[in-house]
Amino acid sequence: MSADLVAHLARFAGSLRAAGVRVTLGDEVDALRAVTLADLGDPEEVRLALRCTLKIRPRDGEVFEDLFARHWLGAGGADRPRPPRAEHGPGNPGSSGLVPASPRPVEVEVEVPRGDDPGWSRDAILRKKPFDECDAGELARLERLVARLAERLATRRSRRLVPVRGRGRPDPRRSLRRAVATAGELLTLARRERPLETPRLVLVCDTSGSMDPHARFLLAFARALKRVAKRTEVFVFNTELVRITSWLSGGRQGSALERLVAAVPDWSGGTRIGQCLEAFAARHLDELVDSRTMVLVLSDGLDQGEPERLAAAMQRIQARARRVLWLNPLSGDPRYQPTARGMAAALPFVDALLSLHNLESLERMLPLLAR
Amino acid sequence: MRAEVGALQEAMARDGYIADEAIATALLLTGELGKPLLIEGDAGVGKTEIAKVLARLRGTDLIRLQCYEGLDVSTALYEWNYPRQMLRVRMSEQEGIDADRMEQAVFGRSYLLERPLLRAITRREGPAVLLIDEVDRADEAFEAFLLEVLSDFQVTIPELGTIRAEHVPHVVLTSNCTREIGDALRRRCLYLHLDHPSLEKEVRILHSRVPGASEALSLQIGRFLQALRARRLARAPGVAESIDWARALVRLHQDHLDEEVVRATLGCVVKDRHDLRDLDAPELGRLVAEARGEAVAR
Repeated sequence: MSADLVAHLARFAGSLRAAGVRVTLGDEVDALRAVTLADLGDPEEVRLALRCTLKIRPRDGEVFEDLFARHWLGAGGADRPRPPRAEHGPGNPGSSGLVPASPRPVEVEVEVPRGDDPGWSRDAILRKKPFDECDAGELARLERLVARLAERLATRRSRRLVPVRGRGRPDPRRSLRRAVATAGELLTLARRERPLETPRLVLVCDTSGSMDPHARFLLAFARALKRVAKRTEVFVFNTELVRITSWLSGGRQGSALERLVAAVPDWSGGTRIGQCLEAFAARHLDELVDSRTMVLVLSDGLDQGEPERLAAAMQRIQARARRVLWLNPLSGDPRYQPTARGMAAALPFVDALLSLHNLESLERMLPLLAR
Repeated sequence: MRAEVGALQEAMARDGYIADEAIATALLLTGELGKPLLIEGDAGVGKTEIAKVLARLRGTDLIRLQCYEGLDVSTALYEWNYPRQMLRVRMSEQEGIDADRMEQAVFGRSYLLERPLLRAITRREGPAVLLIDEVDRADEAFEAFLLEVLSDFQVTIPELGTIRAEHVPHVVLTSNCTREIGDALRRRCLYLHLDHPSLEKEVRILHSRVPGASEALSLQIGRFLQALRARRLARAPGVAESIDWARALVRLHQDHLDEEVVRATLGCVVKDRHDLRDLDAPELGRLVAEARGEAVAR
């Protein structure tokens, strides 16, 4: 196995990574073993072997083919691997530095079961009323409804069975183990049950000026979620990112909000979504987000920063999280198109874009959180 | 390697599976590198069939684990045979055997019910083909467990100790992409994505699987199916469906498509009521005419 080939493959893998395709060292080792089996004079064979061993998914297919042509089909024949001529990285304009990796998210329509409404008739009107049109009294009522809605989240059962005392299905294995001690007499039945499972959530809320009418309600939502799903983490941002998880527990809604406004720099100011999400990805992603965590971004996507940074941050977050939902108060308007620069940049890396402008839209979203 | 790929393609074709180079290369590499193969693709593109053909070619058993929500260790790996254990305990009691010896006897290998994963690693007569079907339907916890089994090919049973694989099985995992497979599991495998076949490939498949179908019929079915898939149906028909349809049409003694018969047998390929409703009479007429190679004025 020539050192040339190893180096060339490493460069190829490096370019794939730079283009946003996830390739690990283990994949490279597989690829190297496969390429040494293949006939280097036969580009088709090399191509198929690389696709298979580098685990190239359909969504990365185009990037792969493009880079393969550059790295392995350069003039001079494929038997003498040549370094890529055009070094391309994220900084090179016109290169596919950030190719939208996932299919465009779809607006999700979830049917809400009838007869399971959170409120009585007085609240029916409230359910459709946009948050920014509610007065203080109505908001307080909304908050109570949200708290009841959020409780539903904690009703998903895990599919595993764990030992329990009292009620539950019989557990033959443990029962028999006990029976051995009493000379084969089954005196007590051991039981097992599927435990309740609460989703892990990370909320990142925009509190900039354009989001101000919604902020109070969104925080109520965050508090309600925090009560049922204890591991919920909450961040707010406008020009800077602040972790507010610890401030949400205890105290009344109003006072929590006031403390927040005092502590968050530039509350109701401008937004730098990209920078703040970048900070989130750098400081908190590894610690708080894993493949079981759902990340909710609550923002209108009206960004004053650079959309490239936002896209890069969202890509990192999506790669690590179970799902990424973007909740946008503006998309309640049927005429809304996600064309705000920030929104357009983030869209490829979002699993679902949902509207969040009234209680009804919130109800639709909740089942998605438990998935 | 090209020669081997070609040979494998031919062998698979003799067995009734028309494989393109990508499929043959992937199978060859999984054998050479000794790694599992993860096959992703829409329902009905022939993922499961690959494992079946592989088992036949290697002359070995196909051991299949069908995944579903809530699949757990006792269905996938092993379970103790509780009734037998119970009986044994009762008998020992009457014979006056002490508890320690009784426990040893009851948790012996002969009281173990082997489920697919355990059966695959304990097969004595050489490596089996282990098909883990629709792994996307099992949950993440099961995926993590699978990862453990697939990396060491050994299983630890608390009462018995560690059972090591007699022969490392050839593992094929399939996924319909209803959920993203975890990165760790994906990295453990080699990867193949199967698309719907090209027209030429589909006609060859029909020839091979439905020998009774005339050349014209196979070609027309192929064209019709290609056109259907291009229409973004809610449920795109797979190769399995086109084979079913070809068989149905052969039974009805058809040697070409006509609108009436297509309307009557459309349920073989279009299995969603919204899709069926969208295919109204003029639309269907146009598709049939196009499949028959007639020029259609749009």
